[in-house]
This record gives sequence, structure tokens and C-alpha cells, in this order.
Amino acid sequence: MKKILITGLIAGCILFILSYGGLYLGVRYFPGLFVDYDNPLFNSDGSRDILFYLHAFIISFALSWFWARFKTMFKGTLIMRGLEFGVVYAIIALLPVMWISFSSLDITVIMVISWFLYGLAQAIIAGLVFAKINP
Amino acid sequence: MLIKIICWVPVFLFVTGFTYPNQPEKENAPIRWVISQNSSLSVNGSTNVNKFSCVIPAYDRTDTLTVSSKKDPGVTLSGTIGLNISSFDCHNSGMTKQLRKTLNEKQYPLLRIRFLSLNKLPELTAQPEVITGMVIIEIAGVSKHFEIKYQIDRDNQKTIHLVGSRVINFSDFNLVPPKKLGGMIKTKDELSVEFHMNIKTI
Repeated sequence: MKKILITGLIAGCILFILSYGGLYLGVRYFPGLFVDYDNPLFNSDGSRDILFYLHAFIISFALSWFWARFKTMFKGTLIMRGLEFGVVYAIIALLPVMWISFSSLDITVIMVISWFLYGLAQAIIAGLVFAKINP
Repeated sequence: MLIKIICWVPVFLFVTGFTYPNQPEKENAPIRWVISQNSSLSVNGSTNVNKFSCVIPAYDRTDTLTVSSKKDPGVTLSGTIGLNISSFDCHNSGMTKQLRKTLNEKQYPLLRIRFLSLNKLPELTAQPEVITGMVIIEIAGVSKHFEIKYQIDRDNQKTIHLVGSRVINFSDFNLVPPKKLGGMIKTKDELSVEFHMNIKTI
């Protein structure tokens, strides 16, 4: 349990920097991709900002547990294990969630694809961290 | 004879004294301006990812303004126009919904502009004339005084075109500009408001 929490925390810190750093650069250099977020569908009063920024840690702890439970199934080099872990997470968790989100919410295809790729990148990075510190 | 003349002088003064002041009063009689339905209002603003322009393309009421130059200095302009927040169109359904939500449309469905004064009586020629005036703008239940810069002219069809513009802030009306994704996308506080009124004199 301690190992899960420590690897989750380390992965959380790394994901926090990369995810929000990437988002900041995305907003700065590809502003057109973010125009559709000016919509009441997305929280605008700042009341949930803390939850938004905690996301990196929520996904890291969840994936850390998932890694500890199933890590023996991911074989090969560190990079292969990290990649496979990320792809498995994306297919099992992200794809169905993106599907239901697009079918039920007033969001664009670009948004859904970008969320899918964002989640996939997060899971691959987390997988690489786990393969390195909790092989 | 002299006594007769002396007696008639006050009578003459009394009669003429009431006649002359009537003329300027006639000149100062209030003028009524009827605002046509093809008048419009636009609001321009920006976020850190784009600029937006929201318009109320057609004024859906017929309101009257009264212009009266009795008050010195300046001209009294009285009347109020009310604009439905639900008529705003930002050319993007999400942004339109966001603006309506930010302006608290459910609780305050009208944006009101109450006209108070003009700095001078416009000459109303084909040549646009720049004047200023005071208004009260009411948004989301909060009223604020603003000085507005107007451009006014009258065309061949005797239609008066009154274009008013002013930069206001969301915060002037205790409104918080929306921010998204943990503040990564921010709407700027400043908004540029411009209204174009087509007016007929009655």
C-alpha cells in the first residue's frame, strides 16, 4: 500500500508539471483549439479550480493501484511496458467515457479527440514512471 | 395727454412683455425621437484565446426619446431603451449561452440604457457630428452613470443615425468575467459597447 501511495505521489507530481505545463503551452500556442471552452458547459466561477488541478494526482493514484495489481502482465522493456499500460488504460477507461461524453454533451469531436490523446499521454507517462520505480 | 401716455406705457409694457418671451419657448419645445426597430447594439470583448463580438441585430421595441434644450448648459435627453439579453448573438452557440449566463439573463432579462443629457443640441445634418452625453446603463440589476461619445447625422430620408460607444467593464456591474479550465482561459474584464439607433422625429 505504501509503495502504491509513494509511486502515485511521484507520478502525480510529474503529471502535474507535464499536464498543466502542456495545457498552458497549448493555450498559448494553439489558442484556436480552446475557443469552444467558452461555454456554460464548463465551470466558469473558479469554484472547482482546486479539483481541476488535483486531477493529476487522482489519476496517478488510481493508475498506481492498477499498475501494482496488474504489472506482471506488462512485459518487455521499460518503454514497452509504459506504452502498453497507457494503451490498455485508454482502451478500457478512456474510450467508453469519451464515447458517452460525445454522445450526450454538446461538445465537439476535436474536444473529445484532444481529451482522449491527453489521457493516453498521461497514462503512458505514468506507466513509464511506474515501470521505472515499481517494476 | 401726457398723463394718458404715462398710463398707456405700463399697459404696452405688460402686453409686449408677455409676447416676446413666447418665441424662444417655442424654439425650446421638446422634440420626440422614435427609435426604429432596425436599431442594433454590439458588445465586443476578448479572452486570452480569441475575440468575440455579440450583437443584438434588431431592436424589437419602439421607444421614444425626448430632447429638450430648456436646461442650461446642455440638453436634456430623456427616455429609456430596454434590450433583451436573450437577443444577443455571438455567432457561436456556446459563447452566446456563456454571455447570457454571465449577464445573469434568468434574473435580469433586460439591459437598459437610460438617456439623461447631451452636451449640445445636434445640428442634424448629413455631416456626422460628434457630441457627448450622459446615460445610465443597467446590467444585471446594477446601474452606472457613463459619459457616452455619440456620432450623429441625418440622412436624405430624414432618419437620424445616432451611434454611441463606450468601453465598460464586467466589474462595473459586479459581474465576474468567466474563466475556464482552472483559469487557463480567461475573459478580459473590458467590453466595448456600441449602439446604432435609427431615429425618426415626430
